[in-house]
Formats: sequence, structure tokens, C-alpha cells
Amino acid sequence: MTDDKPAINLLPVGQRSSSLSAPFSNILIAHEYKFLMKNLIGRTVRGRYRNSMLGYLWSVLEPLLLSIVYYFLFNMLAGNPDRLYGVWVLIGVIIWTSFGKTLSATITSLSANKGIINLIYFPRVIFPISLMFSNIVLSLMSCIVIFPILYAYGVEPSLYLLYIPAAVFLSGFLGIGLGMIFAPLNCVQKDVEHLFRFIVRAGFFFSPVMWTYEMALERGTFGSTLLTLNPMVTPITMARHGFAGHSTTLPTFSIVYCISFALIMWVVGSMIFNRYERQAVKYL
Amino acid sequence: MTQTVIKVQNVSLEYPRHRHLLSIFTSKMRKQKNNFQALENINIEIKKGEVIGIIGNNGCGKSTLLRIISGIIPPDSGECLVAGNISLLAGLGTGFSGHQTGRENAMLYGSILGYSESQMVEILPEIIEFSELGAFIEEPLRTYSAGMKARLGLAVASAIEPDILLIDEVLGVGDPNFKEKSTNRIMEMVKGAGTVVIVSHSFGMLAEVCDRVILMEKGRVHSIGIPKEIIRNYYDLE
Repeated sequence: MTDDKPAINLLPVGQRSSSLSAPFSNILIAHEYKFLMKNLIGRTVRGRYRNSMLGYLWSVLEPLLLSIVYYFLFNMLAGNPDRLYGVWVLIGVIIWTSFGKTLSATITSLSANKGIINLIYFPRVIFPISLMFSNIVLSLMSCIVIFPILYAYGVEPSLYLLYIPAAVFLSGFLGIGLGMIFAPLNCVQKDVEHLFRFIVRAGFFFSPVMWTYEMALERGTFGSTLLTLNPMVTPITMARHGFAGHSTTLPTFSIVYCISFALIMWVVGSMIFNRYERQAVKYL
Repeated sequence: MTQTVIKVQNVSLEYPRHRHLLSIFTSKMRKQKNNFQALENINIEIKKGEVIGIIGNNGCGKSTLLRIISGIIPPDSGECLVAGNISLLAGLGTGFSGHQTGRENAMLYGSILGYSESQMVEILPEIIEFSELGAFIEEPLRTYSAGMKARLGLAVASAIEPDILLIDEVLGVGDPNFKEKSTNRIMEMVKGAGTVVIVSHSFGMLAEVCDRVILMEKGRVHSIGIPKEIIRNYYDLE
């Protein structure tokens, strides 16, 4: 036996797949690690409200209370809002939370899982993906509150209600793509995390959470520019139209823009994340 | 000739030392070295069936070397080749969540360590039995004592049967009663696994089980050889 021969099945450890194929391979990875994902999602979802008396109820209560606050605030500032204004805020808060929580969780996904990362290697993209699904699950749980409200306002439930879960998914997907671009950087500089906490808070006001698509249309250029540029307009408005029980009146451009924005973020985010996570882990 | 299963070739690794934006710029200007050399040009070859011990002072790169071999951190230069599946036994119970029951945590920890769902379902009764938790297994983990957590962690981690086992200072966990049982369990794993690399400060144990010992000093391999000689070298270092 020659000296080279035994080295045949010696494989280099920690080979990285090409970052060009990352947007596709990450989806396959998520499928391959279903069991791990299921457990990580369970940990996040069950952990969120476990030590509280009302438990899961908080996922419903939080957006509900917030929308009541905004209802009064709006009444005070602008007066006489739409009959359904409270509902619009509630839906806005739920959809925005799905985006905001996914975004912040994705950005801290590597630094928050330092222990596991230093213990074993598996594709780290599992962390952001499982966090996105955790937040989608939590947001869908909040959506349950919509059914009693439908009844209270005497709105006929229709198939258009499916816009609401679709909007939760779309906003979660927007959040993960954007977050994955910055997650490796956050291992090096914690500032990223603080900056994005601010961005999520400010974005709340620049997105149609306390206001609606229709209100902004009446505001001339500023309103319409905001509506065109902000990708979060589409999921939130879609969900509201779904509640009202009609097909969305959003221009096709907005929907195409939002979906392509989300896809581009996913592609760029996957490539950056897979390219840099291995180096970034050294900083943990 | 037996097969080489771990081959570490010219591996070097630097850890970044400064973490502030400003210091990155200032050090660039002064052409200062702002990194910490964790490993420097490491060459090691480990054959199938060998039990290798790694000793050295704190911060000499022992754990970093295990992380490189298990693929957690990529080396800056050089290459690490491995034949067979590899498992690192360290930080027992990492990823546990206090809100979930012992059973759920066993599943979670198992999935982190790379078990499949069917494997976990199969070995779960064995894990519960070994951990001696009894009815506590259905209680949330936050009600557990540190010893109980360690027992559950070891029970899950030690169910693995890898080709190559890396152990980083996890011997003798738990309360004194369990200590013997846990040490025995790890010794069983050492015997069962094809190849083992142990990082430890318990020289007595290393001298007993290891075929060779590696002494590391400041990121370099100081010497490799039979345990007794290398342990003597360690004491000569100081």
C-alpha cells in the first residue's frame, strides 16, 4: 500500500457549498434538517410566553391592546376614524410584527446561538430559517383573533381571508432575506443589531400600520412615493382587503415589486450569509 | 499499515482581537498585528483506532484544534482531512430550554447533535433510564438541578456512536454518585469508538487510556509521543 492510498476517503472538513447556489441549496438544507428545525421552532414558540399566566393568549392580546391604544390616539389626533380603523391597525400590527420579529431574530440568529455553534457544525442557515418559521407560527396564532372580530363587525367571512396568512408568510420572507444580509456582520459588530432595532421601530411608522393605503393615496406625492417604495405596503394592505372580503385593489405593480423585492433579498441574503457565516463565527 | 483518519496539515488560525470599528482603522494605520494567533502551523496525523490525548495550559489552542477538526471553524490556512463521521462531546446540554420538559429537551438536544427523528424515538427510553430522572422527565427543565441537567445531557450525547470521537473536558460531570457512572460511560464510548481525541487535564486517566499524547504550547505542537514522556514534558515547561 502506498502512502497516498489511505488518504482516499479522507475528506476535507467544513467544505462550503458554492455561494452562487445558496438561494436554492438553503431550501434543500431546510428540508434535510426538518427534525432539527421542528425542535428549534418548538423551543422558540414555546419559550416565548411560557412563564406567563396567560401564555399563548399574549400573542393575541399584544396586538389587540396595541390597536386599542392607536384607536384612541387616532381619535384624539385626527378624529372620527373609519369604523374599521381599529381592525386595520390590528391587522397592520400582526403583519408588521411578523416582519419585524423575523428581521431582528435573523440578525441575531448567529450571535444568540453561540453555544450550539461552538458545539457542532450543521449549516447555520438552519437558525434564520427556523426563526422565520417560529415567528410566522406566532403571527398566525395572533391571527386567530380576527375571527371573533369578523363576527363582531358582522363581516361575512370569505375565501379572501386567505390573504391574511399569505401576508404573514410574505412579510416573514421579506424579513429573513434582509436579516441574512446582515447576520454575519452582527457577529463582528453588535452595532448592527442596535441599528436594526431602530429601523424596525421607525419602519413601523413608514409602513401602513397606523395608517392605511387609502389614507396615503389622498396625501399626494409623498404618500404615493412611500407607497411605491415600501415593500411592506403590499402584505399589510392585502391582508386588510382580505378581511374586508374583496380582491385587493393594489396595482399589480405593487404586488410584483413586493414579491421580487423579497426574492432578491432572499437571493442576496443567502449568498452573503453562506459566504461569510464561517468566518463570522470566529468572532463569537 | 493502518489507515489515517485525521490529517491536520499546516493549519493556522488567528482570532480577531479587537472588536471596535475605530481600532480596526487605527491598527491598520500603525500596521499593528491585531490578531491572536490561536494555532500556528499544526501538523498531526492520527491513525484509525488510536486514542490520542491533548494536554497544555489554558489558551494553548486545545479546544480550538478540536473545533477545527470537527469543522466548526475553518482554518485560515492549511487543511484538515477526516475520514468517517465525527462527533464532538463538549458543553453538555447546550441549547437546552428551561421551559420544555426533560423529554422535549432530550429530543431537542438530540436533533442538535444530528440524530434523526426515528433514531431519537428508538433510543429515548434508554436515555431516560440512564439519566435516572424517573418521573422528572416530564417536568420542565427549569426545575432541574445542575446535576440533573448534566445527567440528561450526557445521556443524550453519549448515545452517539461516531467513527471519530472528540472529547473536550466533559469527564466526571454530575454529583459524586453519578460521577463514576458518567466516567464509566465515557470510557465505554472511548472503547467503542474507532478513534478518539481527548482534551483533558486529568493526566492519570490520559496515561491510562491514550496511545499517544500531544502537548501543545501557545498554539504550536510542542511534542507528540507516549503519554508518560509527554506528561513529563508538560511539567518541564513550567
